[in-house]
Amino acid sequence: MNRLSLALFAAAAVLLPASASATIDDSLSFALEAADPFVKQGFSVREDYWGGDLPVKQTKAIVHQLFKGIEYWFWMGTEVKDAKISIHVYDSDGNLVEVEAKTASRSAMARVVPKKTGSYYLIVEVEKSPEERTHWALAYGFR
Amino acid sequence: MKQSLVLSSLLAASTVSFAQTPQKIDVGSLPSQATLVENVVVPVPSEVFSALDRVGKPNWEQVLRTTKDQAVGESQPQIALQLGLVIAEGFIAVEAENTEEVKRIGGTVQKLSRALGVEQHVTKHANAILKSADAKDWVGVRKELDRTLKDVRKAMLDLGSEPLSQLISLGGWLRGTEALTDVVSRAYNADSAELLHQPVLLDYFHKRLTSMPANIKKNPLIDDMQKGVLEIRPLVGMEGAQISERTVKDVGLVAGRLVKSINSKIN
Repeated sequence: MNRLSLALFAAAAVLLPASASATIDDSLSFALEAADPFVKQGFSVREDYWGGDLPVKQTKAIVHQLFKGIEYWFWMGTEVKDAKISIHVYDSDGNLVEVEAKTASRSAMARVVPKKTGSYYLIVEVEKSPEERTHWALAYGFR
Repeated sequence: MKQSLVLSSLLAASTVSFAQTPQKIDVGSLPSQATLVENVVVPVPSEVFSALDRVGKPNWEQVLRTTKDQAVGESQPQIALQLGLVIAEGFIAVEAENTEEVKRIGGTVQKLSRALGVEQHVTKHANAILKSADAKDWVGVRKELDRTLKDVRKAMLDLGSEPLSQLISLGGWLRGTEALTDVVSRAYNADSAELLHQPVLLDYFHKRLTSMPANIKKNPLIDDMQKGVLEIRPLVGMEGAQISERTVKDVGLVAGRLVKSINSKIN
């Protein structure tokens, strides 16, 4: 699948479906709580977010527009205790671009300062979890 | 409890070793298990405007348009597009720090939401916008505008009107893009022009417009929007290519034409 096809395939609803489960909402609250210290540093957290569920060792790719001149943090959360999740950011050429990444038992985060404006790939993964499928949510902020 | 768990998790957070993370992936052939999430989050205008503010000192008052005497469209798709335009205007009014216009926009958002049948989801945000504008709490106004966008689109989804929710996003993007081209044209530089490079969003809007249900697609505005998005796509979609001053103007002309069409077309 070429890059254009991937971008086209990524096009869909702006918001999560109304049926988004409470477990994604719980995961989002962990992501937002992880974001809290950065709000105090001047980051504006977007109201929109991504979410879903994943088995262990499977990844999801999200195509997202980033702008040069802005600093971004991406915060991923899960409601599953003892789960280990990760978020990494790649540019349209597939190069890892995050300048900082952290992970904890219920959250993971990555900071990006884009060198160019365009499409970026956010790769989310459940690395370890006691559950068969693990709910996750991903929020972002900018300044 | 949850908060303390997160805090303790954060305290235990460790910086990820870059050695463990692939430094490069082939985005042209992601592993089969790396399925794409189909949600596209459309950036709010203030995200792009923040980048402009770092490059220069745009005169946002020159870009701002009043929503005084804003007419309400005659069809649901037109009103949804108008609502997107007005919310984007709110972000411009915040950049201009124009209290009166921000307050007026709060009222206009309510008027358009009423016409869409989702006013009850907007009232609290409109009130918060008025309060924040009086206090000149611009961060607060931006937050409420973003919340308004989210809640009104969610309300449209709950009503089974996903296409209208997408038209709100498109309206907002068009006005944001028109404003961006206006600012960049007044003091062109390649870095600012690069902010127009948004292929993923143009592909998203194109696909959503193409897949609109027949009852919405028959609205002549939708045809205008489709044609306009297709006109803009090749102008700003080339990876790595510099966006010229001429191109910025061309994008602005198309975006401006569509904005005018949204506010004038009688269906």
